[in-house]
Amino acid sequence: MARRSLNKTKLWRRIKPFLYLAPALILLSVWMYKPLITTFYLAFHKWNMVPGTDKKFVGLDNFDRLFHNPAFIDSIGNTVFYTAGLLPFSILIPLVLAVVTNNMNGKMKNFYRGIFFIPMILAPVSVSAIWRWLFHPSNGVVNHILLKLDLIQQPVAFFSDANFAKWIILLITGWKMIGFSVIMFSAALTGINREYYEAAAIDGATSLRQFINVTVPLMSPMIMFMLMMSILFSSQWTFAYIDILTTGGPYGTSTNIYYEMFRYAFSNLNVGFSSAAALVFFFIFGAIALLLNAVSRKLSFYDN
Amino acid sequence: MKRLAKGAIALMTAGSLILTSACGANSESSNTSGNANASAKASQVELGTLDPANPTKVTFYSYSLAYPTMKAGMEQLIQEFNDTVGKEKGVIVEGVPDATFQQYKADISAGKEVDVVQHTFNLLDSSRLGLGFKAYEDVFPQAELDEHLKGISPNALELGKIDGKMYGLAFTFSTPIVFINGKLFEEAGLDPANPPKTWDDIKKASLQIKEKTGKDGFGLSPQNGWVTEGLILSNGGRVLSEDHKQAEFANKESVDAISMWKDLYMNGASAKGTDAEVSEQFMAGNLGMYVSSTSLYSGIKKASEAGGWKVYGGALPQFGEKESIPVNSGSVLAVRPDSPEKNAAVWEFIKFVTGDRGYTIITSQIGYLPLRTGLADDPNGLKEFVEQNPLYRINLEQLSRIQPVAIWPGESATEMVTAFTDAIVKSVSTDADVEQTLKQAQDQINGMMP
Repeated sequence: MARRSLNKTKLWRRIKPFLYLAPALILLSVWMYKPLITTFYLAFHKWNMVPGTDKKFVGLDNFDRLFHNPAFIDSIGNTVFYTAGLLPFSILIPLVLAVVTNNMNGKMKNFYRGIFFIPMILAPVSVSAIWRWLFHPSNGVVNHILLKLDLIQQPVAFFSDANFAKWIILLITGWKMIGFSVIMFSAALTGINREYYEAAAIDGATSLRQFINVTVPLMSPMIMFMLMMSILFSSQWTFAYIDILTTGGPYGTSTNIYYEMFRYAFSNLNVGFSSAAALVFFFIFGAIALLLNAVSRKLSFYDN
Repeated sequence: MKRLAKGAIALMTAGSLILTSACGANSESSNTSGNANASAKASQVELGTLDPANPTKVTFYSYSLAYPTMKAGMEQLIQEFNDTVGKEKGVIVEGVPDATFQQYKADISAGKEVDVVQHTFNLLDSSRLGLGFKAYEDVFPQAELDEHLKGISPNALELGKIDGKMYGLAFTFSTPIVFINGKLFEEAGLDPANPPKTWDDIKKASLQIKEKTGKDGFGLSPQNGWVTEGLILSNGGRVLSEDHKQAEFANKESVDAISMWKDLYMNGASAKGTDAEVSEQFMAGNLGMYVSSTSLYSGIKKASEAGGWKVYGGALPQFGEKESIPVNSGSVLAVRPDSPEKNAAVWEFIKFVTGDRGYTIITSQIGYLPLRTGLADDPNGLKEFVEQNPLYRINLEQLSRIQPVAIWPGESATEMVTAFTDAIVKSVSTDADVEQTLKQAQDQINGMMP
């Protein structure tokens, strides 16, 4: 009898940690691991997602077609363009804005930060509508001003011109991104001990010196974090504007891989092809994330 | 610690096993439902009984419901059905706006009931193969069909047929015409009642408008999607081969037609931008000529009245002496009812919207053509309307020369359409070599043929 209850307590002790873990494990498996496994499975099949139809096993055929698809190759180039192009908007400009507004007095500081943050909370659809009006070829304010200033002779159809379409998508995404980064950097700034600046000032350091030698090193964990966010999520953040403003065009010049995946799955109803693309980028982005993690451990400086 | 890790791994393996077996269960159950469908199909070409006390719900996915210029008319069509025939027989139709033709696909894959779709022509084959749309002959009794289809233009009935069976009944339907801004025409010293006939005339007129008024003379967006095919056919070219097994749009006639368009587009008097932007420009009164479907007519007419100018129209321009060959825009009704009651309910809705009353609403409130062409001369139908809006005569006359828009074969139709459109946009709006660009796209598309 005593032995039995001993066994019971032992068993209970063993189960207990998993009970604590259960909610997280269940959520993770339903929302992360199941889709991941399904994606892996679907990448080797041809299926149009219609209930009642069979998934056909096609081996590596999806991957083979993927790497021979010119649109996919182009979209990789654009993804790199958006990722690199977004860095000034997510790191450089916000860092400067955060430092500048940090030295202002309370009310002005909040006013400016409010202005920077507003674009972030606007719905992408309405934002797109406004930018579409601004850049409209015949009725838009931008064309009107450029014509008045004699900078162009003919109005430019910005969203139908391969030279401009992706730059405007980048600009809009960046404009929205700035607000988020400014808030993050401002939060990190308030955590810096003022004594460092006083000490530097007594040593005769100019404000630029203080920025480079005090602010930047102490902000490095946040800078690394924003760098990672920016690189990993730039494709997602450009998605809405691509969909609403250009649908990837003209002739596929403003699309990125997330938009292509979406099209393969929900427009062409070829979920296997889409999964294959997703799988390729799961590994690429995974490698980037690990690399950035390693770099971040090396470069970040914590003021403990 | 080690034990904990082992436990976690065991738990995850168990979890994934459960998930995989769940997937297996899914596919099994779907197989059986597939079989059930197949056996049902063979036995039932009769309509079930409807009960007015307990009405059957039918979902209707429509792109017209999503466009401001067409929305009111389409809503009136659905409402009137629900209030009259629907109420009497026991059918309630629920309209679902679907601007980009994504919603019905998404809802079918989510397992929702998608009964009637206002479907474009070019993707019909792909939907038939992949999305379970049914042939009219398989779900509606032949006698009923024969009776109802009397009076619809036979040319139009051919358009939705694949392998001899009707997978779509032509519904909203139009041919491309040249909309003309009367005010800009007169300011440029041109006569809007005597519109340009050939593409050479169009070019001359557009340059004259630009020179005299400073506004753009001509607009046809490279992304328009369907007028392009009319251009190619008008010059003696083809989009698909006769047997629909090969793309053929890189032949000399097609290349010449697209090169002509490029020349027109680049001449400094053409509107730039997407189709939506060009139509906005025309409605704002800043464009002399605009080629599009008459479905935009109701919106354009309102805009012209607000802007104080008059809208005129001309037929699709021709190449030299060759008569132009317009293709049809618009849609078919594609159906996927799944029970005898649904068959009956869907059939009631289709009879109403493609009947005399239906086409009277579609033409007068939206702007598409009446496929029951007799209505145009019927004093109880559209006689008065057509007399007041002579633009429709042009459109009705073009019906005799119409050819169907390409139905891209197989399940990769959407990818083919994208490749074709991208090649046209690139050829017309950039310095790219037309022949080389079209050839490349043609090869790419032929690689996707079933």
